[in-house]
Amino acid sequence: MKLPSHWSASGWLVVLIMATLGMQYLERFFRWVAPGQRQVIYQRDDFLSLMLNHASLVGLASIVAITIGVGTGILVTRAWGRDFLPTVSLIASVGQTFPPVAVLALCVPLLGFGAGPVILSLILYGLLPIVRNTLAGIGDVEPAVIESARGMGMSGTQILWQVEIPLAFNVILAGIRTSVTINIATAAIGSTIGARTLGDPVIAGLINNNIAYTLQGAILIGLLAVTVDRLFEVVQSVSTRR
Amino acid sequence: MAAPEPTRKNTVLIVLAASALAGLWLLDFSSIQPNRIVPGISQNLFAAAGTALSVVLSIMLAALVLLGLWSRSRRLVAAVVIATAGLCLLPWLLVSVSLNQLTDDQPSARIGLGAAFWLLLFLLSLMLVECWQRVNLDVHWRLIAMAAVIGSWSWAYSSGQLEALGLLREYHSRSGQFHQALRQHLLLVGGAVGCSLVLGFALAVQILRRPRWQEPVLNVLSFFQTIPSLALFGLLIAPLSYLSNQWPWLQQFGIRGIGWAPAVLALIGYSLLPIVRNTWVALSEVSPGVVDAARGMGMSPAQVFIQVRLPLSLPVLLEGVRITTIQAIGLTAVAALIGAGGLGTFIFQGLGQAANELILLGALPTIGLALLADGFLTAAIQWLRQRHLSTSLTAQATAP
Repeated sequence: MKLPSHWSASGWLVVLIMATLGMQYLERFFRWVAPGQRQVIYQRDDFLSLMLNHASLVGLASIVAITIGVGTGILVTRAWGRDFLPTVSLIASVGQTFPPVAVLALCVPLLGFGAGPVILSLILYGLLPIVRNTLAGIGDVEPAVIESARGMGMSGTQILWQVEIPLAFNVILAGIRTSVTINIATAAIGSTIGARTLGDPVIAGLINNNIAYTLQGAILIGLLAVTVDRLFEVVQSVSTRR
Repeated sequence: MAAPEPTRKNTVLIVLAASALAGLWLLDFSSIQPNRIVPGISQNLFAAAGTALSVVLSIMLAALVLLGLWSRSRRLVAAVVIATAGLCLLPWLLVSVSLNQLTDDQPSARIGLGAAFWLLLFLLSLMLVECWQRVNLDVHWRLIAMAAVIGSWSWAYSSGQLEALGLLREYHSRSGQFHQALRQHLLLVGGAVGCSLVLGFALAVQILRRPRWQEPVLNVLSFFQTIPSLALFGLLIAPLSYLSNQWPWLQQFGIRGIGWAPAVLALIGYSLLPIVRNTWVALSEVSPGVVDAARGMGMSPAQVFIQVRLPLSLPVLLEGVRITTIQAIGLTAVAALIGAGGLGTFIFQGLGQAANELILLGALPTIGLALLADGFLTAAIQWLRQRHLSTSLTAQATAP
């Protein structure tokens, strides 16, 4: 017995919104969690602005990563770009071996502290699964299908938009889902290099030895990731049905 | 798909070599810091390492561009040789920087690595792989090329002239801590992967026997994978510290809210999915015909499992171990935030002190470990696959 995906997604979304807005009213619960702390609700920022900032960092980086990633995947599968296919697919698969936190850390010597290096590392790392899945999706389209489209008099651009992209769409979408999931996690660690995200309460709690702060940040990060993942599930199930 | 007509122009090689050449001229190769605190002065290769070596490297890169313009498979072998030589030359450029720029009266001066250095390392490696794939170079030659590069780097290191590198200065000032962190890192990864291998294998066998459990188990495990590492670590701290406060004897084993306990638990949570999924797929893909044949030969169920099913599913199972290990190496670096130790300690210490070289001391070995684990396990999987192929081919050949 399984709930339809849009029910589960809306449920998670409601919980996420309620938790973001209502976390500050759970003081009694957090007093029980962290007895002996003078302050048990993270005060330096309100949770809503941290949530919005976290989501917009990931959203911005993902839009750039999708544009560049899908673009690259398309370019190297055209006849004139095919020379670059082995190199690009090598970079995409070896790059995914690199731990995200290491990529994040290596952006600091390049760009210093703040949101900039976080966005750069989210883009760089987010590209890899998207490129890889775009290549796999377009590569899986049967040559016979393309031949018959060409036989029907379609141009190269028409074949790309009306045949290859629709057929590869689900695989590309799965790549985007992986990319966004990883980026939500990496953005949280981005707190350590000065980006304002939901990682802030977690880190503040770890530094000040305040379990309540850490728990508040962790709950919201977890909820954000699960909600976004369920939303992707809805999009995927809609697009498979078509 | 038909193989493309061999073209005389290798665009990839041209683009990579030309970018390397441009990077070499335009970007900073290294920087000199009088000590750890003062910001460094950046220099390009010509200023830093002297004209002679810079010209040699430029000629090599220009030769690669030319080889790309008029490429033929025999000429691409020359490109492999030049790219290998370039990678061998890199550490000696740093030696030259050290000899040219540092004098004996600056014992704490340090050399930082600039963008041009990393770009050259990246592009030369890409060109090497691109060319040896294009000419289908024999594995032995590939290994010889890699051995040459590693040999050249070790030789440059043993010359003692690289000691002024900021990275090595950071290493030497805390080599004890570094080795301890490396050990902790390996122990955490090994412990988590080992535990989840045992647990995951048991779970996979269970859901193979009870298909009804299959969906809920895989759903729960993929739910774990969705939760960001920092969140899962954070969520585990509260219950674990509650437990250790209730039963203080747990603290004697190091089970507390922070430290290795939440780290290992979270790592196992993440590691289970690839292992369970791959084991389950691998075991269910063994064809019933093979199992029947083994039973027909009088094997007991246990024998069938150990002598037939397990060896046949080993490559796919190992693929799960590979994914898990790489993931665990990266997540363990994050676990330094909750006091679990490991190489991540240097990353976050470096971030706290804005000390770039200390960040590198944590990040580069982490990447190195991941690449090593990937290379080793991929090679093992390929070896197993080939062995299977050859044994099944001989079995077919000898079959009546």
